[in-house]
Amino acid sequence: MLKKTSMISRRRVLAAGAAGAAVGAFGFPAILRAQPAAIKVGVLHPVTGALSYSGTQSRAGALIAIEEINAAGGIKALGGAKLEAVLADAQSRPDVGAAEVEKLNEAGVAAIVGPYASAIALATTQAAARHNLPHIVDVGTVDQVVTRGLTNTFRFSPGVSKIVQSGIDGLERINNAAGKPVRTVMLIHEESAFGTNTAKALNDELPKRGFEVLETIKHANPTRDFANIVLRVQARKPDLIVPSNYYNEYVLFTRALRQQRVQVKGIYSILGGGASSYKFVKEFPDAAAYVMDCNHWFDPRKAGALALKDKTEKAGLFFTYEVVLNYNAIMYLADALERGRSIAHDALNAALASSTWDKHVLPYGPTKFVNGQNTGAQPAITQVLDKDIKVIYPLEFASGNAVFPMPTPRG
Amino acid sequence: MTMRQGLAGGLVLVLALMAPLAIQSDFWLGFLITILLFAAMGMAWNILGGYAGQFSFGHAAFFGTGAYATSVLHIALGLNPWLGLLVAAAAGGTMGLLIGYLSFRYGLRGSYFALITLAFAEVLRILANTAGFTGGGVGLYLPLNIGVANMQFAGKAGYYYVALGLALASILIAWRLERSRLGAWLAAIRENEDAARALGVDTFACKLAAIGISGAMTGVGGWFYAHYYLYIDPEIAYGPGVSVEILLVAIVGGLGTVLGPLLGSVALHAAGELAQRLMGDTPGLNLIFYGVLLVVMVRLMPDGLAGLVRRWMRPAGGTQRA
Repeated sequence: MLKKTSMISRRRVLAAGAAGAAVGAFGFPAILRAQPAAIKVGVLHPVTGALSYSGTQSRAGALIAIEEINAAGGIKALGGAKLEAVLADAQSRPDVGAAEVEKLNEAGVAAIVGPYASAIALATTQAAARHNLPHIVDVGTVDQVVTRGLTNTFRFSPGVSKIVQSGIDGLERINNAAGKPVRTVMLIHEESAFGTNTAKALNDELPKRGFEVLETIKHANPTRDFANIVLRVQARKPDLIVPSNYYNEYVLFTRALRQQRVQVKGIYSILGGGASSYKFVKEFPDAAAYVMDCNHWFDPRKAGALALKDKTEKAGLFFTYEVVLNYNAIMYLADALERGRSIAHDALNAALASSTWDKHVLPYGPTKFVNGQNTGAQPAITQVLDKDIKVIYPLEFASGNAVFPMPTPRG
Repeated sequence: MTMRQGLAGGLVLVLALMAPLAIQSDFWLGFLITILLFAAMGMAWNILGGYAGQFSFGHAAFFGTGAYATSVLHIALGLNPWLGLLVAAAAGGTMGLLIGYLSFRYGLRGSYFALITLAFAEVLRILANTAGFTGGGVGLYLPLNIGVANMQFAGKAGYYYVALGLALASILIAWRLERSRLGAWLAAIRENEDAARALGVDTFACKLAAIGISGAMTGVGGWFYAHYYLYIDPEIAYGPGVSVEILLVAIVGGLGTVLGPLLGSVALHAAGELAQRLMGDTPGLNLIFYGVLLVVMVRLMPDGLAGLVRRWMRPAGGTQRA
């Protein structure tokens, strides 16, 4: 039997030869040629711990982008190689984030995208720098992320200095355009890096622009009762309130303001935790009405942004800036892979650094990287109008007109 | 120490010294560094909690003080990080003496002492959040300047040897303490403080010495953390996470034993990593698994891993088989 199967007739050899020639000529080259190996991408976020909501949103944005890139044929310059997400959890801790970088590096990732929080980003970028491993910081706004001379670190989104500057410029212009109704300001901020940094910058800058800071109140995280702070606001009677806090505190504070019927001309935040949140608008439309925020946001005029919003909402998620920034970070990486035609660290770092990619869905100027920072990145100023979040500034990206001063609440 | 134990210890030490040569993976070297760091701090906790029987829930107070002392002086005055080790030890020790004086002076024991240490750490966290020189809520970023003189190594091996040095030093301190008169007094206080005092032991001074030593050793842990990660903030430095991790290492390893914290640190971090590898793709599931594993370990080994090892090493025909 063995012998029989091993016998090859002349006719069979000819048939096989003909078949082989046919394949060569008309071929199944796509089948016969080896598929290019998938390109591993480290998707590192704090999906557990205190920052788990933002981390989960961030991961979702990155995965949507990877799915879209793969569905469109992968990285064409590398033979249609697919992107493969290698997921990692920083557990909301810098030390865990740094350890995860080592794990991702050993898993052979071409680059890392993440890790949302500034404190974690400082540790992860540094750990990645030891291997010259490209690291795209999705959010991580503190300036030190890109000022330590790390040649592997890139941030497509704006840093906190740019955001605060844009926020103050925008406030001044909106106020001037409305006939300067606001003169006095009260700052309410949370105690950690973000709130403290923002409050300090505002205290330095606002008096130079003709605003008087009546008082700055710091509160702990978490704070659940804002009654005393609201009483203080009522006593000082500021024209404008500037809150800088995370989502829960933002919501509770603005709800307390409405419940106590505090009369102000505006609520304007910079990187406000709740102001640019569809969750806030949907769940507490009265408290959210007319609040303004200078924050990361998408360009509402771009079809891609609206398609991403639609896709995110269909996945049962709220469309937040974390989703948008991570989606764009992956797309920015994919563009660098296309142009650099390599996953070698040096080549990819060079391609990321020389990027002029403009197919993003963000309200940014021309992409240009200086020391790892996209100088075209900028925040948008949004306002909750008609139970929706509209961009009111910069004007070239606006989808709504600012209502300022805000109407006096009824009832 | 028997000849056999000495040989075993020597062999482990040689293997530990050779680890960076054999392990090429930065991840696993980093993993060992974390184990050694927490073993050293667990040993520090063990001196106060294990030998002296004074349970602290707030060792972050010493960790954070050491970390901030070296960081602030390094940034403001350019203090060399190696000298920062001494400063961190002094700062952590002083904080220990201060908290110890205020607590023991007024006779706080047991759960009251545990709570007051927790409260001190929390007060320090709030102060660090408010004060300007600590960077407030923003925290402190130590400048990146790679060089052995700056205690910034190009690879992980350098950090590994520093962490190994800390762990060995802490084991040596505990080993010496166990055989010293102070060690005997602390054991007497742990077993029955009133009886110890009746026998003439200066319980106040002994407990103060224990918390001072413990604080200094934990402060050195903070020094290492600050120069390893180059960033600290009030939550990292004084948050309850560090306190809990330090005491877990000692409790799981075995209270009042020389090698307990090292065993505890190995077991806890290995369990954490195992959970992460098995269930890391589902957020949170690994932490639940880790928690369950912890409960099982504490339930099955009430005297810690060191107790388990002791039972294994007990000669046949010992009390267990009687």
